[in-house]
This record gives sequence, C-alpha cells and structure tokens, in this order.
Amino acid sequence: MTPFIEVRGLEHAYPLEGGERVLALRGIDLTIERGEFVALIGSNGSGKSTLASHFNGLLLPTAGEVWVDGLLTSDPRHLWEVRQRVGMVFQNPDNQLVAGTVEEDVAFGPENLVLPPSEIRRRVDTALALVGLQDYRTHPPQMLSGGQKQLVAIAGVLAARPSCIVFDEPTSMLDPPSRRRILDTVRRLNVHEGITVVLITQSMREAVMADRVLVMHAGQVAMDGPPEAIFEQEDRLHTLGLGLPPAVEIAQRLRDRGMTLPPDLLTVEALAGALC
Amino acid sequence: MLIQVENLVHVYGSGTPLAHQALRGVSLEIEPGERVGIVGRTGSGKSTLVQHLAGLLKPTSGRVLLDGIAAHVRACAVQRRRLAIAFQYPEHQIFEHTVLREVAFGPRNLGLGKDEIAARVAWALEMVGLDIEEMGERVPFTLSGGEMRRVALASALAMRPEVLILDEPTAGLDPQGRRELLAQVRRWQEGVGMTLILVSHDLDELACVAERVVLLNDGQVAADGPARQVLSDGPLLQAAGLDVPQPVLLLQMLREAGWDVRVDRLLPQQAVAEIVRVQGEQGV
Repeated sequence: MTPFIEVRGLEHAYPLEGGERVLALRGIDLTIERGEFVALIGSNGSGKSTLASHFNGLLLPTAGEVWVDGLLTSDPRHLWEVRQRVGMVFQNPDNQLVAGTVEEDVAFGPENLVLPPSEIRRRVDTALALVGLQDYRTHPPQMLSGGQKQLVAIAGVLAARPSCIVFDEPTSMLDPPSRRRILDTVRRLNVHEGITVVLITQSMREAVMADRVLVMHAGQVAMDGPPEAIFEQEDRLHTLGLGLPPAVEIAQRLRDRGMTLPPDLLTVEALAGALC
Repeated sequence: MLIQVENLVHVYGSGTPLAHQALRGVSLEIEPGERVGIVGRTGSGKSTLVQHLAGLLKPTSGRVLLDGIAAHVRACAVQRRRLAIAFQYPEHQIFEHTVLREVAFGPRNLGLGKDEIAARVAWALEMVGLDIEEMGERVPFTLSGGEMRRVALASALAMRPEVLILDEPTAGLDPQGRRELLAQVRRWQEGVGMTLILVSHDLDELACVAERVVLLNDGQVAADGPARQVLSDGPLLQAAGLDVPQPVLLLQMLREAGWDVRVDRLLPQQAVAEIVRVQGEQGV
C-alpha cells in the first residue's frame, strides 16, 4: 500500500473573540493509505471535522503539515489539485446542492474544471450511474428525498474524479432505508472503484464497516486500529465519550454472564451465527 | 395538557400541480404525562404532525385541540406557551449572539423576573450538560453541531413546558451525549410529570424512552400501542421503512434458528436476560 494522506505534527488553532485562540488539533501524526476505508469517531468537539477539513485544504495547518498524494496542502500552487483529489460530502445535503436539475448539479464540479462538454456529459452520466440516480437526471433536487439528495451530492463529488472522499456524518439526517443506500454506496465506491474513504460518524454500527477506526479525543488521535481491536476496549471508549455497537455490547454482557463466545463479533448477524 | 388530534388532514400546495397530502386523516389522543414516540420514515408526516401540535399550521381538515382549544387559533396562545419544541435543525431556531441570551429568550418573553430567568437558564444548561462558565458567552454559531443542539434543547427546557416535543433530539450527538441526554430528559419527565413527545427514526434510541409508539406511514397512523409491541413487530416496521431495534433483530434471528425466545425485548440488557433465560431452560 502507498500512503495517500500524510499528516505530520498537525496543529490547528481557531481564533476566539478577544484575540485568544482555542487549539482544536494538538499534534497529529497520521498516514492514510491509498484505498483504505477509515472511520473517524470521537465525541462532539473532539476535532474530527477539523481534522478532515485538512484532508482537502479546506483548512490549513497553523503548525505542522499535511501531504495529499504527495502535494503539500499549504502550498498555494497545490491547493486546486488537492481539492480535486479529495472530495467532501457533508451532513445536510440541502447545504450543498446548487442547481435546478440533478444533472446540472452534478455537472457543476466538472464545468468548473473547464472540461470539454462531451467529457462533462460522460462524467455526469458515470457519476449518476454509480449512485443509481440515472432515472432522476432531469428532476429538481429539491423534490427528492433526503437520501436521494445526499446521493446527488455524492455524485457531484464523484464527477470531479477524486481519489478520496471524506464523508462527514452523511447519514445522520436520513431515515433507515436512505441510510442503508448511502452506506452501500460508500462501501461500493471503496471496494469497486478503489476510492479512499474517510467516514466521520457518531454511529458505532457504521464505524464497524471500516477497515480501520481512528478515535479522536481532545484534538489528538486517542486510538487507532481495526474495529475488532477498538471495540474490545469498552472502558476506554466510555472514557472517551463513546460506546459499543449494540451487537458488541450484547456479546460482552453475555460473556460477563459466563458465556463463551469468540472475539470479533461486531454485528448482530455475526453474534446470531456464534450463538446458533 | 390533553392533546387531541381528530381526523387531521394536511395538504401542502393545495390547488397547485405540486399539491401533496402529507397527513391523511390522523387521529390520536395524548394524555398528560405520557411518553410517546412518533416514528416513521422521511416523508411519513411526522414533522407536519408536530407542527400542527405547535399550532404552526392550519389543518386542511380535521382538528388539533390543546385542552379543548384549536391549536392554531389566537385564543390558544396560553396553551401553546405550555408546549415547547426543539427542532431537528438547531441552526434554524438559534438567533441570539450568546448562548446565555439564546436560552434566556423564551423565559424573558414569558415576562419572568431577572432572578427567575437566570435560575432557569442555569438549570437548563446544566440539564443538557453545558458548562455555563465556559459556554455562556460563546456565540452559538461558532459551536459544534452537537453543542448547538444542546443549546436549542436548553432553550426549550427553560420554558418549563408541560409538553416537550423533541424532533430527532440526538442526531449529531456523540454516544455518551445521547445516553446522558435521554437519561436526563427521562428523569426530568418522571420528576415533573410532563408529557414527552419524541420524534425519531432511530428505534434503538426510542426504545430507551418511549412507553407508547405511534407509527406513521404515508400520512396515516399505521400502528399505535405499547412500545414493546410496536417496536418488536418486524413486518410492520419493515413495511413502514424502519429497522427493528438491534436487540429485537438478534432475537428474531435466534427464533428463526429454532430458539424459543420472545422477540419483544427492546434493550441490549433485556435481550441478554432473555438469551440467558432460554439457554438455562434448554440447557444449551
């Protein structure tokens, strides 16, 4: 594997009124490999979104440096290139849709890249197919459901052909069917299209989908490992304001009651399988 | 306060090509002190119903009564003041320039004295876990999403309402924040006996709080009954586009595999007890 994002001694300070500063990131060293699926979890205000905003140069370090695909984000000559390589999808799709029809919205990114119309057409069609919205190309996005709007936002990011997408709590406003659809799409983009995924989430159930879980706390990376290893540490997670996915919690309580169960049971399906 | 909804119909954009019937004849009654969950997928009519309870919309037909008075009429102002809502998007309801002023806004409008306002603000911020020293003078819009949500909730609590409506109260909160908030709201509800109405599509979360669940599907009441019954009815919930709570899902799988377990155990610890019970009986 080759490193895609490299973070070295990263600090980020937000200015407060009266000239003071609050340190949101306190020295982060981190490498994300190309093609990885990383879940970023942590309590409110732990620095998750601030960290992720450095992955595409939306924020620039107040100390330390961030390299994306070999490009230094704080070098103004690289910023445009960095933003093309790392796309962002946010919590509320209403805040990121800009055009009158779905296809115009998806075309917004490639149009700004000043590509020939035939290439724009091809990118829009490919992106809409990847999220399964081909049949909605002429619909006004405002008339779609929350989940469909979020898929339009993802298609818009895909049309810029990024190598990596940061999803910042993309499902927290969505109902279960939409949520499943978004998560399936995220997984498919990672597995089949090789897109590096950083998924910020408050749902421990979602974090379990990743290859690797990063736990943020007070502006630092407090834990880093595969989900099996992270969710073994119940007490530590509680200290950090987090918890266990329901299946892991049930398995743990059953072990407390003397039952012998294999480790690594992350989902209800796996737990049911182990019990039967 | 007694809430009565009688055959409520709401049509958005009536008389236009985009007319959409969001509520199609909803009837329900909520007694003082109940803890009710209103669930349903996006577009099922939950938010429209809640806005009717708050008197923010006028029924296309049917009635919404707060202690016998139609919720949307001027004469209902006193009743409406006894009902508070924290909406799903806190950034849509926050407008003051400090956290303290934001939370004090409602009580100030009630015409309360300075000391009473200060006491309520301090109490409400403590309820939602915000430190008044640290956060009081902060500008709400510079807060994190989870912190803003707590401010919106504190503003609703500071009204000391008889009916508290929380629309997706924990979206964006971290797991500990969620646990604490629900536990606090529940403790408070039990202490003062107010009515609590929770709107959500996270049924695992609802299972911790609601005694009764109203399931909306496509603008109609698809089910209304004890939480344990509605939230463990897999086919019903699936038809309405929702997921059963995870403990119920596990028990369903065990049942399909031939275990003689009850599936109406909504919380992890309840599922654990049920599994241990059945294992003991069957000597597995």
